[in-house]
Amino acid sequence: MFVEEVMHRDVVTVSPAVALTEAYHLMQTGGFRHLPVMDGGRLVGVVTDRDLRLATSQLADRPFSPEARVGDVMSAPVSTAYPRDPVELAARTMRDARIGCLPVEEDETLVGIVTVTDLIDAFLAVTGARRPSGRLELQIQGRPEEFATLTRVFAELDISIASILTTQEPDGRTRVIVRPETIDLREVSRRLCSEGLEIVWPPPLACQP
Amino acid sequence: MPTLIYGPGYRHYDLGERHPFSPIRAELTLDLIREVGIDAVPLVPEPATVDEVCTIHDPEYVATVEALSEGREVPDFERFGLGTADDPIVPGMGEGARQLVGGTLIGARRILSGVDDRVLQLGGGLHHAKRASAAGFCVYNDLSIAIQEMVDAGMYVAYVDIDAHHCDGVQETFYSSEQVMTVSLHESPEFLFPGTGWVHDLGRGMGRGQHLNLPLDPFTDGDSYLATFDAVMGPALSWFRPDVLVVQAGADGHASDPLADLMLTSRDYETIFRRLVDLAGRHTKGRLLVTLGGGYSLDAVTRVWAILGLVLWDLPVPDTVPEAWRRRWSQVLVDGAPEAMHDAPIKPVALRHEIETHNRQTATRLLDAVAPLWL
Repeated sequence: MFVEEVMHRDVVTVSPAVALTEAYHLMQTGGFRHLPVMDGGRLVGVVTDRDLRLATSQLADRPFSPEARVGDVMSAPVSTAYPRDPVELAARTMRDARIGCLPVEEDETLVGIVTVTDLIDAFLAVTGARRPSGRLELQIQGRPEEFATLTRVFAELDISIASILTTQEPDGRTRVIVRPETIDLREVSRRLCSEGLEIVWPPPLACQP
Repeated sequence: MPTLIYGPGYRHYDLGERHPFSPIRAELTLDLIREVGIDAVPLVPEPATVDEVCTIHDPEYVATVEALSEGREVPDFERFGLGTADDPIVPGMGEGARQLVGGTLIGARRILSGVDDRVLQLGGGLHHAKRASAAGFCVYNDLSIAIQEMVDAGMYVAYVDIDAHHCDGVQETFYSSEQVMTVSLHESPEFLFPGTGWVHDLGRGMGRGQHLNLPLDPFTDGDSYLATFDAVMGPALSWFRPDVLVVQAGADGHASDPLADLMLTSRDYETIFRRLVDLAGRHTKGRLLVTLGGGYSLDAVTRVWAILGLVLWDLPVPDTVPEAWRRRWSQVLVDGAPEAMHDAPIKPVALRHEIETHNRQTATRLLDAVAPLWL
């Protein structure tokens, strides 16, 4: 999944010369928290609702006035993403820099913005039930033939797989979460067990020793 | 007296010898209902027409189902969720599905016309069928079709779904309807088919705050189930003020069910059914339409649904299962015919307290979420 698949393309931007109040109102009316700052067609910073709140807070040493310029409080330089970056790279960049958005640039042109919320949506798309489906959880060593067996059993029973997720267990084994498009997991579970794969969910379908 | 609806045509909704959604479940239930003393001649419905089915379903989907059902070749049927392990292509399945729709529909019409207030449709409950897709054993959504008929007549309908699986098809049909509330108690979508029915799915537009989902932890027992039910049902119906209660009484929440992981017993079901009758008395002038649904342990569902009948007919539940019924079906009840109407007590599950706490929090979260919408 690439950044361009999850980013927003219609980006609202401001010039560094606009007043903090104007930036604040843009965020309030638009329902967003991140504003890229553009100067002469070039990305020069990002201002967030948090930047505005901290800059104007009465608790600050020298609070900015509401009429101060965005250019005075914005974050710069800016971390950016490229449209064909994988989303996991965008997530890593945001996590490491502890920031909530990345303007997306291609050939020094702003083409979009990706935020933490977009990454949560991507996570939900990956983990959720896109089609009506059950859930089967297996624990395997992670060898290629185990995956081959897994998919072969589904193919033999003509049961579609809505999604497959894998995670690494602390002991090095692989947890596989399959969402098969069936309400009745019994036959597929029986076959998987007889092929030597270990089922951990649902517990009543766990393989008998 | 309540009205019982059942037709021999229900047997045609038979998705195969080894398929769990077997018509034998209703047939055995009907026989047990008679043996335990419910003196009711079933009303035999006409199958619904294709036009009636198309009030909810996509005409192209319906045409595909009917063509496949008659053995005609149709290209590209897979896109309608047909020809799968759950919804195989079986001769006569279109007509069989319309038989079930016809039963639920006639129940709705009898309530609409004021002939009946309490109806038990001994079949149907195909809550997973979508506008243009079969899913989870369900081809035509009899519930949506019947509810739509009542909505068109101006009724406000509260739909309560106690099947262990989320009622995704019914919820989707009425997600933005002002006139329908859906309440579903089901095993959490994190763990069970179809993977929908989260607390925050509250409806859209005019339907916002009218779709109540109570995803329960796997291995939820009767006490926690009933506490969750009670926390939400009264406030929901008091606020919504429905004209009629439609219940999908799937019995796959039973502890012995092979397709789900809830821990209800026959006694819990009896309590749930009494609560539903009571809610109908309080909120809908007694108007109550009940269908069957999921439930795949033959021993459990026949007793649970017979108890449903006894509760609807205001009769006591006998201690023992009538001998004549046990003898008649001994070949079919492969896991042994039960002697007592009620289950023996079951052992509490290990994480009982944790499950109960989580379910209580789920009910609270739901009520908190709808509070601003129920002003």
